Amino acid sequence: MKAKKWLAALGVTTMLVGGLLSGCSGGSSGSTEGSGDTVEITLAGWGGNPSETRLLKEALDAFEEKNPTIKVKHEVISDQYMDVMKTRLIGGEAPDVFYLDAFEAPALIETGVLEPLDDYVTDEFDVEDFEQPLLEAFQKDGVTYGFPKDYSTLALFYNKKMFEEAGVEVPTTWDEVREVSKELTKDGVVGLGVAPELARMYYIAESLGGEVVKDDKANFGDDKVIEALQPIIDQRNEDKTAAQATDVGANWGGEMFGQEKAAMVIEGNWAIPFLEDTFPNVDYGTAELPTINGEQNTMAYTVSYVMNAGSEKKEASWKLIEFLTGPEGMEIWTSKGFALPTRKSVAEKLGFDQDEKRAALVSGASYATVWANGVNLPTIMNNFNNQFVSAFLGQRPLDEALKEAEKQANREIGE
Amino acid sequence: MKKKRTYSKRSLREATQGYSFMAPTIFVLALFIIGPIIYAFFLSFHKVQLLGTATYQFVGLSNFTNITDDGRALRALWNTFKYVIIVVPIQTLLALILAATLNAGLKGQSIFRIVYFLPTLTSSAVLTLIFMWMYNQNGLVNEILSAVGLPTYNWIGDPSVALIAIMIMNIWATAPFFMVIYLAALQDIPESLYEAAELDGANAFKKFIYITVPNLRPVTSFVVIMGLIGTFQLFDQSFIFSGGSGGPDNSTLTVVLLIYQYAFKSLGTMGYAAAIAVMLSLVILVATLLQRKFSKEESLY
Repeated sequence: MKAKKWLAALGVTTMLVGGLLSGCSGGSSGSTEGSGDTVEITLAGWGGNPSETRLLKEALDAFEEKNPTIKVKHEVISDQYMDVMKTRLIGGEAPDVFYLDAFEAPALIETGVLEPLDDYVTDEFDVEDFEQPLLEAFQKDGVTYGFPKDYSTLALFYNKKMFEEAGVEVPTTWDEVREVSKELTKDGVVGLGVAPELARMYYIAESLGGEVVKDDKANFGDDKVIEALQPIIDQRNEDKTAAQATDVGANWGGEMFGQEKAAMVIEGNWAIPFLEDTFPNVDYGTAELPTINGEQNTMAYTVSYVMNAGSEKKEASWKLIEFLTGPEGMEIWTSKGFALPTRKSVAEKLGFDQDEKRAALVSGASYATVWANGVNLPTIMNNFNNQFVSAFLGQRPLDEALKEAEKQANREIGE
Repeated sequence: MKKKRTYSKRSLREATQGYSFMAPTIFVLALFIIGPIIYAFFLSFHKVQLLGTATYQFVGLSNFTNITDDGRALRALWNTFKYVIIVVPIQTLLALILAATLNAGLKGQSIFRIVYFLPTLTSSAVLTLIFMWMYNQNGLVNEILSAVGLPTYNWIGDPSVALIAIMIMNIWATAPFFMVIYLAALQDIPESLYEAAELDGANAFKKFIYITVPNLRPVTSFVVIMGLIGTFQLFDQSFIFSGGSGGPDNSTLTVVLLIYQYAFKSLGTMGYAAAIAVMLSLVILVATLLQRKFSKEESLY
């Protein structure tokens, strides 16, 4: 009788533990590699609009057609891309090839998780064809860790109808922007839509010789930086002719411009397909950004394909990067103008410098400041953005806000 | 002597069986709860870099002492404290009033109980997105405010009102949950107490103050503790509202959001994030103990 009880208990326990173990083993059975000599590599990036997705699919199809032994599995990370990517890199589950923004690149390069690409490069790849400032964003000590796939610069988007009704010309200097904005601000419309964040203000902040980042530390409390940014603050709080998107119920500059809540905004290439799709009736033009102290300025934003140093399929991964950032792949990806090509030969072939709406963006490439500067830019940006908005809203003096934010940013950066 | 041995042997067998049945649950608890807690505690004494080659550098208590002069940590703590002080009393009071109202025998109260509970069932992420539409400059809230002649606000982009917007949203979403708890407790109050009070001439308000509220004191204690724990750990609403930045002007930065930023957005500050997490758990522990001390759990009969 006792033996029976013990046997029953043992049996039940065995079943429970067995169930638990089979649950665990079920997970590990999914690690089977591809069959035969076909290699599967993963490519991860953030999502885009459906048209962009089709273009990328088209490029990947062209790649697989040329390389029958390589299959590409495309993964889309729809939110908090860098947080997800860092976590996957730590866990050893990162994709073989992935997008990397220039703004985040230095920090990731520093950690050693990216594969240096120089050994894979051939003469045929023609590195010289890349716009040099965009390529440099992904280089460190002469070593290249990524090749930029596209870029965009900023341009002044203006509402042609509003300009005609107000009888004003497109401004070419910032003083003219303020004058023109006064004529355009009325009936719930502001002259200028502003994105009060460092990514959009960096070139203004440095226009009088100040440095936002110095020796990899925040330096935007510098008097020259404050002096350079003060006119934007004054335009909103004194002239009352500028506003941020949430002031008028929009989420970003392109939306407030499309809703005709702002006569002018400063946006990039990404705004053009958005306006075409969402606000097809808005008649607008683009112009190069107004000059500051007679100097031309704009920002350039670029993204590269990088290879995971932990990848076990490096040769196949390089083939993918080589194709997508080579003339053929890049031409497919940028053919519709959603993004601008980083290769001069592709740019020349596609002729965007002749496109009425994109010419101003293309012109800016030669004098643009690339949105990247050292490993701590994300921390510097977050602190700047948080404090700058309270100055922009008129709740605090600009110098007080920026000096406090600079101190906090440097405290977080440490050492 | 023999009896003692038999008892001991028998109890041993029973204990073995009991623990055998509990083994899977204990295993899961240890793996997913106890283990991470211990690891987080370990991390809080180190400067940790997990990306690339993982490095751990023992730094003693400096992660904890750094909190005292971290302006954003103090701001996050202040935001969270302000949030707790305002949200917990309001949601508790609102829940109590709603529960008492829906227990008064009015017509259709069953329907209203269901309707009022729905906000609690909504995913907080979905709820936040819906409220962000309502809080838009041209959204429902501003339309209603201007219709009755009150001033409108940029609820999302203005530092002075952004946290208030989240408070309102959370009270709306959480009060019904506590309302249901109060409703359950109200069923346990003997009807005879109300009848006796009625004989003595008490009106509805006096019955509420002198019978209902005292009888619900243990439940109120539970509701306040759960409210404290939940509000101290505010994260997803702040995260979605500010896009993860804690802005505008750090006005929606909470302690847990700050932990997330140091853990996942900065490199090399995972240990510091763990230290803040340990500090937060101590703060919640202290708040809970204080609350328990101020409310004597006594039976009334």
